[in-house]
Amino acid sequence: MKIVVAYKWAPNPQDLEVRADGTVDEARGKPAVSEYDPVAFELARRLADETGGEVVGLTVGAAAIDTPLARKAALSRGLDRLVLVADDALAGADSTRLAAVLAAAVRAIGGVDLVLAGDSSVDVAEGQVPLTAAAQLGWLGLGRVTAVTPAAEGLSVERDTPAGVAVLAVRTPVVLAATADAVVPRVAGMKDILAAAKKPVEVLALAALDVPAPAVTLATLGTAKPSGGDRRAVLFDGSDPASAASQLVGALRSAGVL
Amino acid sequence: MDFTLTDEQELLLSSLDELLERECPESYIADLDLHHESATSFRKALHEAGFMSLGFPEEYGGMPCDAVTLVLLAERVCRQGLNNGFGLELLQAMDILEFGSEAQKQEILGLLANGRVPFALGFTEPGAGSDNSAMTTSAVHHDGLVTFNGTNTLITAALQSKYLLVMAKNPDTDDPRKAISMYLVPMDAPGVTTNRLEKILWYTQDSCEIFLDDVTLPEEECLVGVKGNGFKQLMRNFEMERLVIAATCLGQAQCAFDDAAAYAAQRVQFGQPIGNFQLTQLKLTDMAIKLENMRNFVYKTAWMLDRGLPLKSQGALCKRYCAMSGFEVADDALQIFGGVGVTVGARVSRLWRDLRGHRFGGGTDEIMVHIAGRQIVKDHS
Amino acid sequence: MNASNASQSWVVVADDPAVTGLVEVARTVADEVVAVVVGARPVADTVAAGVDRVVWLGEPGAVPLEAFAPQVAELVAAARPVAVVGAATPAGRALLGAVAARTQAPVLGGVRTVSVADGRVVVTHAVMGGIAERTVALEGGPAVLAVEAGAVPAGGATAPVAEVAGAPLDAATVTQVRPKVRAGVDLGAASVVVGVGRGLKAEADLGLIRGLAAAVHGEVACSRPLAEGVEWLPKESYIGISGQHVAPDLYVAVAISGQLQHMVGVRDAKVIVAVNNDKNAPVFGQCDYGVVGDLYQVVPALTAALGGSDD
Repeated sequence: MKIVVAYKWAPNPQDLEVRADGTVDEARGKPAVSEYDPVAFELARRLADETGGEVVGLTVGAAAIDTPLARKAALSRGLDRLVLVADDALAGADSTRLAAVLAAAVRAIGGVDLVLAGDSSVDVAEGQVPLTAAAQLGWLGLGRVTAVTPAAEGLSVERDTPAGVAVLAVRTPVVLAATADAVVPRVAGMKDILAAAKKPVEVLALAALDVPAPAVTLATLGTAKPSGGDRRAVLFDGSDPASAASQLVGALRSAGVL
Repeated sequence: MDFTLTDEQELLLSSLDELLERECPESYIADLDLHHESATSFRKALHEAGFMSLGFPEEYGGMPCDAVTLVLLAERVCRQGLNNGFGLELLQAMDILEFGSEAQKQEILGLLANGRVPFALGFTEPGAGSDNSAMTTSAVHHDGLVTFNGTNTLITAALQSKYLLVMAKNPDTDDPRKAISMYLVPMDAPGVTTNRLEKILWYTQDSCEIFLDDVTLPEEECLVGVKGNGFKQLMRNFEMERLVIAATCLGQAQCAFDDAAAYAAQRVQFGQPIGNFQLTQLKLTDMAIKLENMRNFVYKTAWMLDRGLPLKSQGALCKRYCAMSGFEVADDALQIFGGVGVTVGARVSRLWRDLRGHRFGGGTDEIMVHIAGRQIVKDHS
Repeated sequence: MNASNASQSWVVVADDPAVTGLVEVARTVADEVVAVVVGARPVADTVAAGVDRVVWLGEPGAVPLEAFAPQVAELVAAARPVAVVGAATPAGRALLGAVAARTQAPVLGGVRTVSVADGRVVVTHAVMGGIAERTVALEGGPAVLAVEAGAVPAGGATAPVAEVAGAPLDAATVTQVRPKVRAGVDLGAASVVVGVGRGLKAEADLGLIRGLAAAVHGEVACSRPLAEGVEWLPKESYIGISGQHVAPDLYVAVAISGQLQHMVGVRDAKVIVAVNNDKNAPVFGQCDYGVVGDLYQVVPALTAALGGSDD
C-alpha cells in the first residue's frame, strides 16, 4: 500500500505579531510540523507496517519550507521518504491552490492508494485543504476519521458524525483527514531522528507539475487587526473573593446580562 | 565559536520535551518523591522512544551518540525536576555491552526495555568510601565458581535492581591493580541480604547496606569481562559519568532558579513584587552567573571528550563546580521562596535536598580537589 | 472572463437543515437563492422554507455525503452563481471543497461581512487563525464562502423541491453507525456559557464550574485540552477555532489563558468575563470584566453572590 502523508510546515500564529495595520510579521515565528499532523503520520506508519507498505511525506509551500531541519523533522516521524514542492509562488497561497499543488504532486508520485492528513493546520485551522485536494484528484475525501484499518476491498474507516461513529467500507484511492485525537502519536524516536538525514528526499519543481490555473482572483483591499476586540477589561482584585464577586455581579447586572 | 545546536539535537530535545510533558509532569515526580518510588513508567517511555539506547552499538538497537548530545538530554530531563533522571543507567549499561558476555548483555538490555534500572553499583563499603582502595570484599575463584564475602553500604537503587555490579578482590593477588575484578551478582542470590537505609534526599532511589555471605555463583555467569581488569573496565566511562552528574546538577539548579525567579516576579510584599528589591535581584543575578558558568563548563567538557582531548582534571573541576554551585543556586532559590518553599506543593525544597547529595555522590567535593590539585601541581613542575 | 449569474447565489447543504446563516449571506449578494441539498428528504423540505428553489439529490442511503460532492460541484458550476455558501463544518467544507476545485476558486472562511461593490463580491474575513482580518474583492468566478450555519429556518412559504438523480462517487458504503454515548449540549442556543480551561486541576473540580453555570442559568463548555486531551468534557463542549463558535450574551472564561485558538470561538459574545490567577494572562486583554484571583475561591464566591450553591 502506498500512503502519502500530506502535512504542513508552519509557525503557530499565537507566536506571530500583528502590526497595527493588520499585516502579520512572521519574523518571530518558528515553523514546525503543524500541531495535529503527527496523528496522520502515526496512522500512516501503523497502516504501512500492517500492509507492508510505504509512507511518503508530502508538503508544499514557499521556498523557506525546505530547510535541512524541516526535512529531518518530517523524516523523523516514520516516513520512508519525503517529497517537497517549495516555491515562493506559493507564499500566501489559499487552500484551493495548495490543494491543487498537492494533488498534482500526488499524481506525480504515482500509484498512491491513500492520502492521510491531519485535522486542521496550526496556522489556518480550517480543515479545508484535504477535502479540496480530494476533489482536485477526483477521489472521495472523508474527514473526521478516527480509525482506519486494512480490509478485503480497500479500507475500513471509522469517522465521527453528529449521529455517532460511522463505519465505512472504502475503496482506494481515497483522501482521509483524521481527527486530532484519533490516535496518540508516538514521539519522534531517537533512531528515526538520527537516521533522518539519510532518508531520500525529492524536490518537485512547481513549474513541472500539472497544476490548473486559479480562475478566481483576489484583490486585497485592506487589512486590519481583528474587529470586536475593543473590550473594556475592568479588572477586580480576587484576593478578597467575596468583595470581587459582589462587585462583578453588580457590574453585570448594570450591563443587563444578568 | 558556534554554540548552535545541530538539527538532530534540536529534534531530540523537542521530542524529549513532548515525552516529558506526557510522561513526567511535576505531579508525577512529586508523587514519586512522596512515596519513595522509582520513575519506572517514565524510564519505560524513554526506552520506547529509543532514548535509552543512545550510544549503544547498533547491533543492540542503538546509534552512536556524542557526549554533548547526551548531556543536553540529561540536563533537560533534570530541568524537569527529576533527580538522576537520565544518563547514568545508560553509561552503566554500556560497560556491560562493552565487556560482558552475550548472556549478560541480553539480560541488561531486557531490563532497560522494561524501564528498570539494570543494576546497582556495589563499590562503597563501610571502610571504603572515597578511599576505594581500602575495599575488602573478596571473590574467591574455585572449580568454575566464585564465592563472595563482604559488605557494601550506601548503595543506590539496589532494592529496585535485579543485579548488583560488584567490585571484589582476589585475596591471592598482591598487586591491587590486578586484584580487582568486576562481577554481576543477582540481588536474590542465596547469601545476599540487605538492610534499607532511610535518607533525607534522593527518595526516588533507595539506599541500603548489602551483606554478601558466602554468595557462590558460576564464574561464567557472574564475571564481567576479564579477571583482574575490574578497575580498568570501571574507569572506562568514569569521565562521562562525572559529566552526567554535572549536567544533572545544572538541570535541577536551572529548575530551581526558574521557579524562584517566577516567584519573585509575582510575590508581593510591601506593595511590590519582591523581585524589585535589590537583595533579591542580587541573588538572582549571582544565580544566573553560576548557571551560565555551569552550562559552559559542562558543554566545554563534553566537547573535549568528543574530540578525544585529554581531560586531565577537567572532569573533576567540572563536577566540583557544578555540584557546589548547583546547591548554592538551590539554596538561594529556597531563601527567595521563604516559608512557602518548604511546604508541600513547592518543589524547590526537593531540588534543594536532591542537589545537596551530589556534593558527595559520585565523588566528594574534596576528592575532586585531591584529583585536580595534584594534577595542577604536576603540570606546573 | 466568465460572466456570473449576478442574480443567483447557491447554498450547499450537507444533511443539516440549520441554514439561516448561509441563506443570510447568500441573500446579501444576490436576489435568488438556490439550495442544493445532499441528505434525507426532510432536510430538503425544511431548507425549502428559507430559499427560492431546492435541488435535492435523492435519498443517500448508505452512501456518505462526501461522495455527492463532485455532483454538487457540477450543478453549482453550471449555474454560474455569484456566490456559493456552505457551512464551516467538515461536511459543509467537503461540498465547498469540490466546488472550489471545480471552479478553481478559493474558499474563504472566518467571514465577517459580505457585500457587493462595483460588480464584485467584497468579503472581510479572518486570516491566519484569526489574528488578523483582510478585505478582498473577488473576480473571475463565484465567491465560495464557509460561514456559521445558523439555525433551522422557521416554516412558512416553501420553495419547490426538484429531485435530481444522485450520481455519487462509487467509492464507499456506510456499513454501521454506532450512536453517541454522551449527548452534547446545544451551546449555540445558550444565552450564558461558562467555559473552563487547563487551570482546573482535577476532573472532580468540575462540580465548582457546574455550580456556577447553574447559578447563572448557563451551559458548561471548555477549551480544547479539556475535551480532547484529558476528555473531562465531551468534544461538542469545546469552544475554539475548530470547535464550537458561540455568541452568548455572557461568556465566563474560568482558568482559560486566552489563547486565540480558543477566544476566536467566543469573539461574538456580548459580554466576556475572565477569572484567572495570572494577571498577565492574555484573556484579560480580551474581556469586559475580569477577576484576578484563585478560581477555587473566586468561583464559589461568585456562585454564592448569584444566589446559587456548589454541587
